[in-house]
Amino acid sequence: MTDTATKLAKHPAAIAAPVRRQRRRRGGWAIGRAFLRVLATLAILFFVLFPIFWMALTAFKPARDAFSTAVLFTPTLDNFLAIFGGASDLTGALVNSVLIAVATTIVSIPLALLAAYAFSRYRFPGHRGMLLAIVATQFIPGVAIALPFLTLFRSLGLIDTHLALVVVNLSLVVPYITWLLKGFVDGLPLEIEEAARLDGCTQVNLLWRVITPLAAPGIFVAAVFSFLLSWNEFLFPTFLARTEAETLPVALMTLVMPEGVAWGQMAAAGLLVMAPMLILALLVRKHFAEGMTMGAVK
Amino acid sequence: MAATTVQRPRSRSPLRKHSVPYLHLAPALLAVVLTTVYPLVSALITSFRHWRLNETREAGEFVGLAQYQRVFTDDTFFNSALVTLNFTVISVVLSVGLGLCIALILNNRTRLSALTKALLILPFAVAPALKGFSWRFMLNPDTGVYDKMLDSVLPFADNINWLGDPFWALMVLALTEVWGWAPLIALMLLGGLNSISPEVREAARIDGANAWQQFWRVTFPLLRPLLLIVVFLKAVFSVKIFDQVVTTTGGGPGRATESLNFFAYSQGFTFLDIGYASAVSWVIVLVLGVLAALYLIAMARQEAK
Repeated sequence: MTDTATKLAKHPAAIAAPVRRQRRRRGGWAIGRAFLRVLATLAILFFVLFPIFWMALTAFKPARDAFSTAVLFTPTLDNFLAIFGGASDLTGALVNSVLIAVATTIVSIPLALLAAYAFSRYRFPGHRGMLLAIVATQFIPGVAIALPFLTLFRSLGLIDTHLALVVVNLSLVVPYITWLLKGFVDGLPLEIEEAARLDGCTQVNLLWRVITPLAAPGIFVAAVFSFLLSWNEFLFPTFLARTEAETLPVALMTLVMPEGVAWGQMAAAGLLVMAPMLILALLVRKHFAEGMTMGAVK
Repeated sequence: MAATTVQRPRSRSPLRKHSVPYLHLAPALLAVVLTTVYPLVSALITSFRHWRLNETREAGEFVGLAQYQRVFTDDTFFNSALVTLNFTVISVVLSVGLGLCIALILNNRTRLSALTKALLILPFAVAPALKGFSWRFMLNPDTGVYDKMLDSVLPFADNINWLGDPFWALMVLALTEVWGWAPLIALMLLGGLNSISPEVREAARIDGANAWQQFWRVTFPLLRPLLLIVVFLKAVFSVKIFDQVVTTTGGGPGRATESLNFFAYSQGFTFLDIGYASAVSWVIVLVLGVLAALYLIAMARQEAK
């Protein structure tokens, strides 16, 4: 039995011998290449993560270690205490950032969903042109929007208010999430809508009771992007809200003091600006690439 | 892109059929027109007027093309145009080059690659203003952690004051941008690499192509349309650079990192010359308009395939 087994085993092996030798040589290469690939991947991880790690680490460093490259130290919450009610209070800016981002999201989602539904379900004169225009809005430089609004809001007495920032944020958010939501609505099955219509469902009810629940995952992604865009926006609040309605990214500038930058507090504030967005980004990471290119990459 | 939408016929009265889509669009359209078209038109009108906020609250008399004449004879404008061009070229080349490398390295199914791909998005989610502060901190010539690392590897780096030197300040600015964009571009390219069927490369391999040839003769040509889109996209966002200029260099040393957007900002916000700043911002609009047109053409071509 062993005899036949060896015979059987030998037979194909004999034929495959040259091939296998070639494979083994490839195998040696493959191991070397796999090793290099792992090294390169670790380098990528370092490049991507280190600045985030370093800021998080610095946020918990006591003042005397803030400028050292020490990784071991006694962690402290001093920096957070300083930016929450302490010497350089950023609580107001945090509240502003949250309020403005939430308000921008709440206003833009219904507008964008309605528009996305129209783009997805109807063909009408101007369809393609308007879609192109929506993509084109993303190329407008911020100053060309901020400057006219600076003078307009000044004369209306709206400068440095939450409302002013929500209004200008719409210029960024509405086109972006309309495009995003159009993609989601495109993917919804028409059959359910048709069945609802046959049952006598009105258009308003259809949108509210059928489309909205079906598009909920898309609405969530759109809400995340809307929040993220408003939260990270810097140019608009720099022009339009320097004190009362100041948002967190702009408030970081107050930590640049005449005697130098308060890096410990900067890191703590930075962690505050960064951490929620990192979590949100991981939640919707699959949609980032398609969102950025507005559908060019599928 | 409209062609991709599937349209199913629906029986309806003609009037309703025609007005319904516009009724759905109206609120969003109103918001977008109000927040993009209105300011653009307003800035265009203002760019033909004399208007200094420190002189008058209201816009002054029309001065024709005087503001534009001033733009094109202003050395500081040309300086910022050149800074923006240099920044755009550097950050596009570095972002797309590094992005492509990252994509090629991670284009496999190992667990480590999967984990890395999942984390690639993180830098892009960090507020650009904060990126500026973060890199400024890490490259502080006395205490920065990256500065110390570089000094230990490259002896000549010891004497470099990263943000005090015109060349390096621009490089640091580009680096803050590359940190966010290269991983994002890698993600986009990984999407493109995924859509190249393994059989094509397998066929090339059987025909005796080595890894280098496989890349240049097979992968690269197939990836080229997507690369073109990515290049334009990155170029557009580079031309708009503003946040990190404020938080990293403040335009300095001297005017070495004063981008166009920053120049328009300082004219309008710091010097309160709204008329001149509007003219500058319209020049930026036109530059970006050309890039946008090229981008949309590249995108339409990609879709036609």
